[in-house]
Amino acid sequence: MRHETTIPQKIYKVIIYVSCILLAILSIIPFYIMIVNATRGTYEIQSNAISLIPSKFLSSNYKVFEGKSFNPFVGFYNSFIISTGATVLSVYFSSLTAYALVAYNWKLRQAFFTFIMAVMMVPGQLLSVGFYQFMYRIGWTNSYLPLILPAIAAPMTVFFMRQYLIGTLSLDIVNSGRIDGAGEFHIFNRIILPIMKPAIATQAIFAFVASWNNYFMPSILLTNKSKYTMPIMISQLKGDIYKTEYGAVYLGLTLTVLPLFLVYFALSKYIIAGVALGGVKE
Amino acid sequence: MKRFLALLLASLLLMSLALTGCKKDDTKEGSNKTDDTQQPPKKVEEVAKEVEDDPSVKTLNIYAFTDEVPKMLQKYKELNPDFPYEINETIIATTDGLYQPALDQALAGGGADAPDIYVVEAAFVLKYCQGDAYQYAAPYADLGIDVDRLLEEAEIAPYTVEIGTNPDGKLVGLGYQATGGAFIYRRSLAKDTWGTDDPEVIKGKIGPGWDKFFEAAEELKAKGYAIVSGDGDIWHAVENSSDQGWVVDGKLTIDPKREEFLDLSKKLKDNGYHNDTQDWTDAWYADMKGVGEKPVFGFFGPAWLINYVMAGNSGGEKIGEGTYGDWAVCEPPVGFFWGGSWVLANKDTKIPKTVGKIIEWITLDYSENGLQYMWANGTFDPESGTKDTVASGAVMKISNGEIDFLNGQNMFDAFVPAGEFANGKNLTQYDETINGHFRGQVREYTAGNKTREQALADFKQLVADNLDVEVDLDN
Amino acid sequence: MRRKGVSYAKYGYIFSIPFVLAYIVFQLYPLLFTTIIGFTDFKGIGRTDFKFLEDIFANFKSVIKNPSFQKSLGNTVGMWIVNFIPQILLALLLTAWFTNNRRKIKGQGFFKVVFYMPNIITQATIAILFSTLFAYPTGPVNSLLQSLGFIDAPIYLLLNKTLARGIVSFIQFWMWYGYTMIIFISGVLGINPELFEAAEIDGATSRQAFFKITLPNLRTIMLFTLVTSLIGGLNMFDVPKLFQAGGPDSATLTAATFIYNQAFSGSYLYNRASAASLIMFVIISICSATLFLIMYDRDAAKLRKQERKLIKSLKKAEKETRRMGK
Repeated sequence: MRHETTIPQKIYKVIIYVSCILLAILSIIPFYIMIVNATRGTYEIQSNAISLIPSKFLSSNYKVFEGKSFNPFVGFYNSFIISTGATVLSVYFSSLTAYALVAYNWKLRQAFFTFIMAVMMVPGQLLSVGFYQFMYRIGWTNSYLPLILPAIAAPMTVFFMRQYLIGTLSLDIVNSGRIDGAGEFHIFNRIILPIMKPAIATQAIFAFVASWNNYFMPSILLTNKSKYTMPIMISQLKGDIYKTEYGAVYLGLTLTVLPLFLVYFALSKYIIAGVALGGVKE
Repeated sequence: MKRFLALLLASLLLMSLALTGCKKDDTKEGSNKTDDTQQPPKKVEEVAKEVEDDPSVKTLNIYAFTDEVPKMLQKYKELNPDFPYEINETIIATTDGLYQPALDQALAGGGADAPDIYVVEAAFVLKYCQGDAYQYAAPYADLGIDVDRLLEEAEIAPYTVEIGTNPDGKLVGLGYQATGGAFIYRRSLAKDTWGTDDPEVIKGKIGPGWDKFFEAAEELKAKGYAIVSGDGDIWHAVENSSDQGWVVDGKLTIDPKREEFLDLSKKLKDNGYHNDTQDWTDAWYADMKGVGEKPVFGFFGPAWLINYVMAGNSGGEKIGEGTYGDWAVCEPPVGFFWGGSWVLANKDTKIPKTVGKIIEWITLDYSENGLQYMWANGTFDPESGTKDTVASGAVMKISNGEIDFLNGQNMFDAFVPAGEFANGKNLTQYDETINGHFRGQVREYTAGNKTREQALADFKQLVADNLDVEVDLDN
Repeated sequence: MRRKGVSYAKYGYIFSIPFVLAYIVFQLYPLLFTTIIGFTDFKGIGRTDFKFLEDIFANFKSVIKNPSFQKSLGNTVGMWIVNFIPQILLALLLTAWFTNNRRKIKGQGFFKVVFYMPNIITQATIAILFSTLFAYPTGPVNSLLQSLGFIDAPIYLLLNKTLARGIVSFIQFWMWYGYTMIIFISGVLGINPELFEAAEIDGATSRQAFFKITLPNLRTIMLFTLVTSLIGGLNMFDVPKLFQAGGPDSATLTAATFIYNQAFSGSYLYNRASAASLIMFVIISICSATLFLIMYDRDAAKLRKQERKLIKSLKKAEKETRRMGK
C-alpha cells in the first residue's frame, strides 16, 4: 500500500495534468478573446469576430466611453457598493438562518426549512417583479437599498450553509462555548462563523459575481446616470442593432470582469489553501 | 444560477403593471384591446391646442434606446440658452428586450419620473402609436403643434405619418429619419456585366419586379458574381412590399407576396445566386468588403445602412480603398422601408408647450435651423458627420447628399423617391416575432430539411402556440 | 443558574427573524400575484381589470396541450441531463484530485481558480461567442474543418438540431463544472480532517479514502448541488435564448424561453405565462422532493444523533454549573 509510485501511477499523474491544462486553456480562451477584442475596432470585430492578435484601437475604444458619458470609475464605485453590501448581508444572514435551522430544535424548524426550499424553486424573477413595483411606489427608485437589502433572504445560500453545517458542525463546540458562559449570539459570531469560512468564501464569491453582473433590476431601478452600475453602462454602448460600438463593449466587459478577478483571488485562498476548521480541533 | 431568466423578469415586470391597474376596477377599457384591428386608422383634421407649461416643473424626462435623440435635446438646449429645464435621460438598449418593459412601467407609473418624451423603434412603434400602448401617447396637436399645416409644408413621407397616427385618427408620432430603401450596388461589377454603372440603366436591369431581378441574377452569375449576399437581404424588400400584414382582424394572414419569399429564397440558394450568408454576421460584412466567396453585387437598404454599416465595413476610408467609392444607389425592384425611430410625447406631461416645441423642431421643422436639415447635411458636424435621409421632403430638396462612398453620387436622388414607395399599412405589433418564426422555417425549407408544405404548416403552428392570434391550422 | 433545564429553542425563532422579514417585505406579494394571474383572463398591456375564468384551469389546459410547450419541456430536460451528468462527474473527479493530500497536484490553486472563470462572464457573452464560432458560411469551426479536409464546402452547422442542443448543453456544462467543483471542495474542506488522518493510519489508499470518507460526507452538499442544478437547469434561459433564440426549428426552445415568448413576443399572454410558470414550479418541486426523499434520511439521522449528543452534554454542563454554583 505504501508503494504508490508505480508506472500506472505515473501515467495517471500525466493524465491529471494534461486534462487540467486542457480545461484551463478552455477556460482562459474566451477571456483572451474578450481582452483582444477590447483593443480592436468595431469594424475589425464585425468582419472577424474572433481574433487572437491584439490591434491598436484600445484608446479609441476608450474615447467612445467619453462620447457616451461612460465613466468606468463611477460605475465601479456604484457596483462595488451594491455588490459588497449585498454579499455581506447575504452570507451573514444566511449563515445565521442556517445556524438556526441546524443548531436549535424548535417546533417550526422543519416547516421553515420546507418553506425555504419551496421559495427557492420559484424562479427568482417572479419575486422581483412585485418587488420592483413596491419599490416604485415607496419611492425607492434611484436608491441602492432595494438592490442590497433583499439579500438578507437568500434561500439558496441558506440551503447551502445548512447543508454545510450539517456536515461539519459539532455541537460540542457550541456547548463548550455555553459552558464558558457565552451568549448564543456571541457563540455564533465568534465560534460558528470562523468554522464556516470555506462555505462563506464560496457563497460570497457567487453572491458577489451575481450581484456584480446583475443587469435587469438595476437598469430599471436606477435611472439616474450618477447611480449607474457597470452592466448598465455597457448596455448603453450597445444601443440598437446597427450602431453597436463592439470594441467599446468588449472594453467595457473586460473592465467589468477585472474587479471580479480581484475579489475571486482574494477569497479563493480559503478554498484553495484548505483553511483548517479552527474550531473542530480540541 | 441567479442570473438566468433576466429576460423573463422583463415579462413579469409588465404583469406587475396590471396589478397597479386592477385596483381601479375600470371595466369599460375591456378585454378586446389585444385584438386591435389591423386596419390602419385614417388621419383626421386636427387643430393645434393652446397649451401652457406647469412652472413648478424643473426637469424634462426622456426615455430612449440610443443616445441619438437625447443628444438632439442637448443640441436644442445649446441653441436655446434660455431653455430652463434640466434634461433627465434614461437610455436603455433594445438589444436585451428590456427597453419596452421599462418604458411601459414608467408610462403606467406616472409621476415625476414618467417620461415627457419617449422614442420608439420601427420594430415596436405600432404598439405605442396604434396598439396596446397607444393610450399613453399625446396627439401632437394637443402639444400646440399645427400638425396639418406643417405636415404639408415639410412634405413628410406619408408612411411615417401612417404609422404615427393613432386609432382616433390623430397624429401621435413622427420620425426624423426617412428609411425608405434602395438598391446599393457595386459599380465595377455593373460595368463588367452590363458595360455601365449608370443608376438609370441598372434600375431597369434589376427591376421592377422579382422576375427581372432574377434575370439580372442569372447574368451576374455568368460572370461569377452573386446578386445579393443572403436571402435576408431581399426579405426586408419582400416584407414591406406586401399588401397585407401578418395579422388581419386578429387572424394570421400569409400575404401571397410573403409566401413567395419561400420560393425566392429557394431559388437564390438552388441557383447559387447568393453567398448564403445571414445578415449581421461576419460573412455578410465580408461581402461588403468584397472578400466573400463570390463578389456580391448589391445590398438592399436605407441610407443608414450606408452610413453605419457599409461604409465602415468596406475596407477603406477614401475612394479606391477596399470597395469604398465603388458603390452606387438605384431604385429597388420593389419599394420598401427598413427601421427608423419615432418620437412620442406622454399625454400626461406637465410641460406640453416645451415638449411640443422640441418635437416640432425634431420632426416638422423644415427650415435650415431645424434638426432635420442638420441631420441631412452631416448631423451636427457638417464637415465630417454622416449624412442621412430625413422625413421632410422639403429639407431633402435643399440638402446635398453627395458622398464619397458612392463616388460622389447624390444619394438623395435615389432615397427620396424610395420614401414614396414605402407604406406603413402592412405593419403589425407582432412582426418581430412572426418574422422570426417565418424566416426560421424558410431556412429549414431552403436547406432541404423540410418540404414547402411542412414549413408552412410548422410556421402556422408556431404562431398559434406563441401568440393570441387566430390561426387556420387545417389548410 | 436557572432551576429549569435551559431551552435554546427560542433562538431558532430569533435567528430566523431577519430572513422571514426580508422575505415578506420584498418577495411574498409578487409570488401571490403570479399565482393568481394564472387563473384569470389577464392578457395584453394597459389592462385595468381581470376576472377569474369560468373554467378555472383553462390556462393550464391550454399550456399542457400546447405543442411548443411539450417540445420545450422535452428539450429542457434533455439538455439538462446531457450537461448535468458529465458536469457532476467531472467536478467530483477534480475534487478527488485536488483534495488528495497524498498526491499534491502542482499548481492546483491555479487550476481551481481558472476552472471557475467561465462562470464570471455573463452568459450573453458566451452565447454570442459560440454562435460566432459555428457561424456559416464562414466561421472558425467551418474553416478549421475545411482546412483539415473533413469537408469540402462549409456546412450550415447551426441548422443541425442535435448539434445545436449539444452546444447549449456544452456551454452549460462548461460554465458550471467549476462552480460545482468549488462547492464540492468547500464541502470536503468541511469534513473533519481527523477522519482522513485515521484512514491514512489504517493504510487506506487514496481511492478508498475518497469512496469511504469523502463521498459519504459530501452527501448533504451533493443534495444541494443536485437540487440547485435541477432548479437552474429546468429554468435554463439565457444561453438558449441568446444562442439561437430557441432555434433551429425550436430545437433549443426551453420551458423558460417558452414562458418568455408567451408573455412577451407580441400578445402579452400573462395568464398563460403564469400558468406555465406554475406548471414548471410543480414539476421542479416534485423532482426536488424526490431527490430529498432519496437522500434525506441520513441527514435526518445525523441531526437526531447530534441532538441526542447535545442533550446529553447539556445535562452534563448543567450538572457542572450546578456543582460550581454550590
